[in-house]
Amino acid sequence: MVNFTIEEVRALMDKPTNVRNMSVIAHVDHGKSTLTDSLLSKAGIISAAKAGDARATDTRADEQERGITIKSTAISLYGHLEDEEDLKDIAGQKTDGPDFLINLIDSPGHVDFSSEVTAALRVTDGALVVVDTIEGVCVQTETVLRQALGERIKPVVIINKVDRALLELQVSKEDLYQSFSRTIESVNVVISTYFDKTLGDVQVYPYKGTVAFGSGLHGWAFTVRQFAQRYAKKFGVDRNKMMERLWGDNYFNPHTKKWTNKGVHEGKQLERAFNQFILDPIFRIFNAVMNFKKDEIPTLLEKLNIKLSADDREKEGKQLLKIVMRTFLPAADALLEMLILHLPSPVTAQKYRAETLYEGPPDDEACIGIRDCDPKAPLMLYVSKMVPTSDKGRFYAFGRVFAGTVRSGLKVRIQGPNYTPGKKEDLFIKAIQRTVLMMGGKVDPIDDVPAGNILGLVGIDQFLLKSGTLTTSDTAHNLKVMKFSVSPVVQRSVEVKNAQDLPKLVEGLKRLSKSDPCVLTMINESGEHVVAGAGELHLEICLKDLEEDHAGVPLRISDPVVAYRETVTSKSSMTALSKSPNKHNRLYMIAEPLDEEVSKEIEAGRIGPRDDFKARARTLADDHGWDVTDARKIWCFGPDTNGANLLVDQTKAVQYLNEIKDSVVSGFQWASREGPVAEEPMRSCRFNIMDVTLHADAIHRGGGQLIPTARRVLYAAALLAEPGLLEPVFLVEIQVPENAMGGVYGVLTRRRGHVFNEEQRPGTPLFTIKAYLPVMESFGFNADLRSHTSGQAFPQSVFDHWQILPGGSPIDGTSKVGVVVQAMRKRKGIKEVVPSYENYYDKL
Amino acid sequence: MTTSTLPAPVAAPVLSTPESNLFEDPTPAAKPAGGPRLTPEEVWDVYEVGRTAREIIEGGWRRVALQFPDGMLMDAPRVYGELERELEQLEWKKTENGTGAGATNGPSQTVEGREEEKLETDPTPQASRSPRIRLAILADTSYGSCCVDEIAAEHVAADVVVHYGRACLSPTARLPVIYVYTTRPLDPSAAVAAFEENFTKEDRVVVMADLTYHNHVEGLVAELRGRGWEGVRGTEVIHEPTASIPNRKMLWSLGDIEKDTGGEEEDLKSWKVFHVSQPPAALLLTLSSRIQDLLIYPTETSKDLIATTTTRLLSRRYALLLRLTTTPIIGILINTLSVSNYLSSISHLRSLIAAAGKKSYTFVVGKVNSAKIANFAEVGGWVVVGCWESSLVEGEGFYAPVVTPFELGVALEGDEGRVWSGEWRGDFEVLEERGEGRVRAELEVREEVGYRREGGHMDVENDDEDSEEESAPPEFDLRTGRYVSHSRPLRNPQTTSKNSNASSSQGVSEPRTATTTLARRAKLEIASVNGAASPGAEFLRSQRTWTGLGSDLVTEGESAEAAGTIEEGRRGIARGYVIGEEVGRK
Repeated sequence: MVNFTIEEVRALMDKPTNVRNMSVIAHVDHGKSTLTDSLLSKAGIISAAKAGDARATDTRADEQERGITIKSTAISLYGHLEDEEDLKDIAGQKTDGPDFLINLIDSPGHVDFSSEVTAALRVTDGALVVVDTIEGVCVQTETVLRQALGERIKPVVIINKVDRALLELQVSKEDLYQSFSRTIESVNVVISTYFDKTLGDVQVYPYKGTVAFGSGLHGWAFTVRQFAQRYAKKFGVDRNKMMERLWGDNYFNPHTKKWTNKGVHEGKQLERAFNQFILDPIFRIFNAVMNFKKDEIPTLLEKLNIKLSADDREKEGKQLLKIVMRTFLPAADALLEMLILHLPSPVTAQKYRAETLYEGPPDDEACIGIRDCDPKAPLMLYVSKMVPTSDKGRFYAFGRVFAGTVRSGLKVRIQGPNYTPGKKEDLFIKAIQRTVLMMGGKVDPIDDVPAGNILGLVGIDQFLLKSGTLTTSDTAHNLKVMKFSVSPVVQRSVEVKNAQDLPKLVEGLKRLSKSDPCVLTMINESGEHVVAGAGELHLEICLKDLEEDHAGVPLRISDPVVAYRETVTSKSSMTALSKSPNKHNRLYMIAEPLDEEVSKEIEAGRIGPRDDFKARARTLADDHGWDVTDARKIWCFGPDTNGANLLVDQTKAVQYLNEIKDSVVSGFQWASREGPVAEEPMRSCRFNIMDVTLHADAIHRGGGQLIPTARRVLYAAALLAEPGLLEPVFLVEIQVPENAMGGVYGVLTRRRGHVFNEEQRPGTPLFTIKAYLPVMESFGFNADLRSHTSGQAFPQSVFDHWQILPGGSPIDGTSKVGVVVQAMRKRKGIKEVVPSYENYYDKL
Repeated sequence: MTTSTLPAPVAAPVLSTPESNLFEDPTPAAKPAGGPRLTPEEVWDVYEVGRTAREIIEGGWRRVALQFPDGMLMDAPRVYGELERELEQLEWKKTENGTGAGATNGPSQTVEGREEEKLETDPTPQASRSPRIRLAILADTSYGSCCVDEIAAEHVAADVVVHYGRACLSPTARLPVIYVYTTRPLDPSAAVAAFEENFTKEDRVVVMADLTYHNHVEGLVAELRGRGWEGVRGTEVIHEPTASIPNRKMLWSLGDIEKDTGGEEEDLKSWKVFHVSQPPAALLLTLSSRIQDLLIYPTETSKDLIATTTTRLLSRRYALLLRLTTTPIIGILINTLSVSNYLSSISHLRSLIAAAGKKSYTFVVGKVNSAKIANFAEVGGWVVVGCWESSLVEGEGFYAPVVTPFELGVALEGDEGRVWSGEWRGDFEVLEERGEGRVRAELEVREEVGYRREGGHMDVENDDEDSEEESAPPEFDLRTGRYVSHSRPLRNPQTTSKNSNASSSQGVSEPRTATTTLARRAKLEIASVNGAASPGAEFLRSQRTWTGLGSDLVTEGESAEAAGTIEEGRRGIARGYVIGEEVGRK
C-alpha cells in the first residue's frame, strides 16, 4: 500500500525547503527505471518483491515490451529521514522537519528520446546520474550530464550493476575499486568541462556522499557515508572523518592499529580501507551465498546484524543473495539519503537558476518571485511537456511552478514560445480547469500547488503545442524556451490508404506533435504529410503511435528520407544584381558562408534575434571575428526569423533603405525557407546587401517590387557562391567486444562512416568506437551492425553536425550531388534541372 | 484596347524613358501563333471570315468587336480587312437580293470564288448602304485572353464580340459572342499512328482536342473507327465549363447525336482520353479524378504521347491551399468581368471567408502577376475569381499562395472535414453548392453565441473587473507544424462552456439589453478602423517596422537623439539653386 496520502504530500508542498525535484538520467540500459523501482517500493507504490522487475515508471505497453523507457514519467514520493543527526548533514540549505517530498522523474536513456530528458531536467533541480559499472561513462551519460549542467542542475551519481561485476566478471576488490574510481573520474571530467561559476563545484566524491554504489536489479545500494556511520562508533572517530578515510589512498594498518596513507607496510601490501571495510563484507556475502556455503551464511548474517524471516532463510542462490543484500543495504535508504542530503531544494536551486530560467530582466517581479521561490508572488509556471490523458486527444500540461501558487479555476496568461512582451502573438488567457499530481501512470487531483513543485494541469492543452509559460503577471517575460540536443533530421512521409480518412490523419498528426517534445509534423511544399524525428527508433515509435493511437487509420509510410539544407561554400564570384519588375530598383548582394561556430551558436540559441543587438555584436566581434559595424547591422535571421542564416546590411548612405527593410526581410525569409537548389531550407549562409538603388517615389518601391526582387537576388547570390548541400551526420558510439570489431569497421566503411576514436574500457574486453555516420547511410545501420557482429555491437546514434554532401556541385546534374538534387526536385514536382543564376541575375 | 484607326506615332517622343527601364510584363509573352505569316487564303480559312461575316449579318449587329489574343494580334489588321470586305459584299448582296446571304458563302468556298466576289465588291458605291457595320479590334485584354472581354467591347459600344483563338467558353453576361477557334493544321496520319501505338483495342478512349484542333476530332475518330477501333468516341464542343468533361460532350454513338440525350451516361471512370495538343493545367486537374488515364498528343514538339501525372501537381496544390487555413486575411482577386454570375460568387466567397472568422479584401488588378499582389503584404493568401481556366494561377514567385475558389472551399473546410481525394474543379459555381450549408450553420452558431453573450452580459459585469475574455485556442498550422494564434481574427472569442451554459437559459428568456450598457473594450482586441476590427490595420501596426519619416532617425546602433535643427535648404529653380542669402547664379 502507498504509505502516504495526498494530504501529506500537499502539506509538504508548503515547505519548499523539504522538497527535492530530481530526475534520473543515464545512458540507455544503465538501469534507471530499475533503480527507480526500489524508491517506489520504499514508498509502497509497488511491492518489494516486484521492485527491480516491474519498472513501474515504464507505463506504456511498448516500453515494457521493448524494455526501454520512451517517455519520461513523473512520480511524487514521500521521504523520511530516520535519524535526527542526518538532518544536520544537509549542508548549505535550510530544512524544516524530517519529512521530505521527492518529485522524481524517470527519463529515457536512448539518445533518440533525449528531448524527454531535456523536458524533465527543466523542471527538476537535481539529477541522479546512473552509470553502469562495466560500461562506464557512455555517450549519452555525457550528453545528459552536459544538459543537466547547462540547466544548472546538481548531479549525484550511482554506480549501478555492481552485482554484475561480482557475479559475471569475478573481479577482485582492488580492481573493483579501480573501476569505481575511474568511472567517477570520468564523470568528474565531464562535470569540470562544463563548469559553471554560479553553480560552483559540483564534482562528485564518494567520501562526500555524493556517489552511491549498488544494484538496482537486486535492490541494494550503499554510500560511503552509510558505512562511515557504522564504523564511526566502532573506531570512535567523527563520521565525516571516517568518510574521508573510507575512500582513496587510506589504509588501516592492522599491525600498528593506525590509519595511514601509505599502501605498504614493511614490504607487505595493505588492504585499502574501502576494500577492507566496505567491499569485504559484500564480497563475503556474495561468496558465501553463491558458493552455497550454507554453514557460513548464518554467522555472517549475525555478524552484519541482518535478520531474515524464516521463509527467506530457506531460499538459495541468487534469490537469497537478493534478500540478504536488500536487507543489509536497502537501495532506497541509500538513495533517499543521498538525494535528500545532497540535492538542492527548490528554494536553494531557484536562487541560482532564476537568471538562466527567465528571459526578462533579473529585477522584475516575476524574476524575483522565481529567485525567492515565493508562493505569494505572481504565478510563473513552465510547462515542459504534454502527457496524454485517458481521454483521447486531450493532454495534461506537465510542468513546474517556479513562483506563485496555481489552483483550479485560476485565470492565467498562457505564453507560447514565440510570445514577446507587449505583443499579442502567442498569448492566450484561460482558466485552469484542474490541477493534478502526477503519480506515474496515474494522477491524483490536488487543489492547489505552491512554488517549487511539479504538477499536471488540465484544460490548457489546446493552447500550447509542446511547452510554454503560464503566468498571472501582465509584464512577465517567458521562461526560457528549451533547446534540445537532438534535431528531427530523419523524416518519413505518411499518407492515408483511404482518402476519406484524411481528417483523422490530420488530427492524429496534431496529437502526435503534442505528445512528443521533439517530433515535428508538417506538410511540405509538395503536399506530403511529413513526420520528422531524431532517429529511426524515435520515428518508429512515433509512427506506431500515430497509426494505432492518434489517428487510428491505416497508413502508408514512405521510406525514411533525410532533411537536407542548402548552403554556400564560398563567397559569390561576383556581386549579384537583380532589378525589380519595374526596373526602377536594384539590389546588389553577396553571399558567403557563415562560420560553423556561429551557426551552431545560433542553433543553440546563444545568438538570436531577440538578443540586445549591442551585446550580440560584441559576442560576434569578440568570439567570431566579425566586424562590429557589420555585426550591429544584422537585419534578420532566417528562416522563421531565428534560423542560422543572416542578412547583413553593408550599404552606405542609401536613401529610403529603412522603408524597404520589411520587404527585403520578407524576401529573405522566403528565400531562406526555400533555397534555390532544391527548395530546401538554407543554413549557414550570410548575405551582405552591398548596395541598393531605389526609385524616388514610394509607390515604385513597394513590397510588390521588392519582395520578389529580394528573393531573386538572394538566389542569384547563393547560386554564384558555389552552393552545396548539407547532410546531417550522426555521432555513433558503438560498444563492442574486440573480436567483433572487424565487422563494425566493415559496416562503417561501407556506409561512409569514419571512425575518429577507439578506446578500450580498462578492465573489460569492450571497446568503444566513436564514428561519424551520415544520417542518409544510417537507415538499417543497427540491423546491419547486429548481423555483422552476431549481435554483439550496440550503437547509439545522435545528431552531431551538418556536413557538405561530397561528390560535386549540386548545380551540375551529372555529379553525384546533382543526381540527389534532381531526384529531390522530381519528388517535389518541380523542374528537375536547377535553374542557373542567370534566371535571377539581371544585367546592369 | 486600341482601335485600328489610331495613327502610328511618327517619331519616338522626346524625353522617353530609356529602353532598359521600360516596364516589362513579367507574365510570359504569348507565343506567336504558328510561325510564318499566313497567306491571305489561310487567313480566310483560319479566321473563318466567311462564317463570321454571315453570322454578323444574320444577327443584324452593327458594331462588332474583334478580340484577338496577343499572339494573333499580328494578323488582326488583315482579318479586319478581309472581314470588312466580306461584310460589305454580303450587305450589298442582301440589298441586291432582298434575302439573306446565300449558303454559298461558307468558309469552304474556293479561293477563286472569293477572289471574284472581291472584284465584285470593289466597284460597289459605299453610299448606297444604310448604316455601315463597324468593326473594332480589341487588344491587350484585361484578364486572360481565353475570356471574352465584355468591358472593353462595351467601350466601343459593340453589339457582338468575335473571339479568336482558344476560349474558355464560359457563359457571358452581357454580349453575344461569336467564337472562332482558329483551327490549326494537324497531320492525321501521325496522330493515328501515335494513337495506335499507345492504346489497345479493348481500351475505351475519348478523343478530344484543344479548341484550336477541335475540327480534326471528327475526322480522327472516323479514321480510327474505320480502322477497327470500336471503343473510340469523339467529343463535341458545348458551352458548359461545369460539364463532366469541361466544355465537351461525349458523342456516345457516332453520327447519331440525338440518341445520347436519352441518358446513356456511362461512367467516365472507365474511359481514357486521347488529347490532341497540350491541355491547360486546369483541364488536366479537372479530368484527373474523373477519367482513367489521359494521354497527350503534343502538336509542337516530339510526336510521342505524353502520359500525364497530376498527382504531384495536385499535392502541390494541396500544400498551397493549406497555407490559407491559418492566414487571417484572404484577398479575393477578380480576374474576370464577364463570366456570368461572378458577382454573386464574390459575395458568396466573402460570406464563406467571413464565416471562417477571417477577413477578406477584394482586389481588381487586371492580369495577375507576382509583383502586383506582393504589394499587399498583409494578405496571406489569394483566391482568384475567374473563368474555369484562369482561376488556376500557376507560376513561380508568388509571395502568398494563389488558389481557386474550389481550393479555398477545401481550405476553409476545417481540419475535421477536409478531404483531398483528387477531385478538382476550376469553376467557382461549385462553391455555392459546397459552402452554402456551412456558411449558414456557422452564421447561426455565431449569432447564437453573440445572442447569448449579450443576453448574459449581466453575469460578465458581475465578474472581476480586470478579468479578460478567455481566448480562443490557437490553430495548428499543418504546413509548419506550429501553433498560429489569431488566424481567425473576426471570430467572436468563445465563451467558456460554463459561462454559456449559465447564460443560455437566461438568454433565451431575457430580451436583448445590449443598448443600455456600454461595451467594455477588450484588451486583446485587434486594431480597428471606424469601429470595425481590421486585421489589415493590425498587420501594419504590428508587423511593419517602417512607420514613416522620422522613424528612421533612430537607427539601430544609435540611441534616440533630439531631432536636428532646422536648416535653410536650397531654393530656386533647377538650373541654379541658391542657398540662403547667396545672390547670383551658380
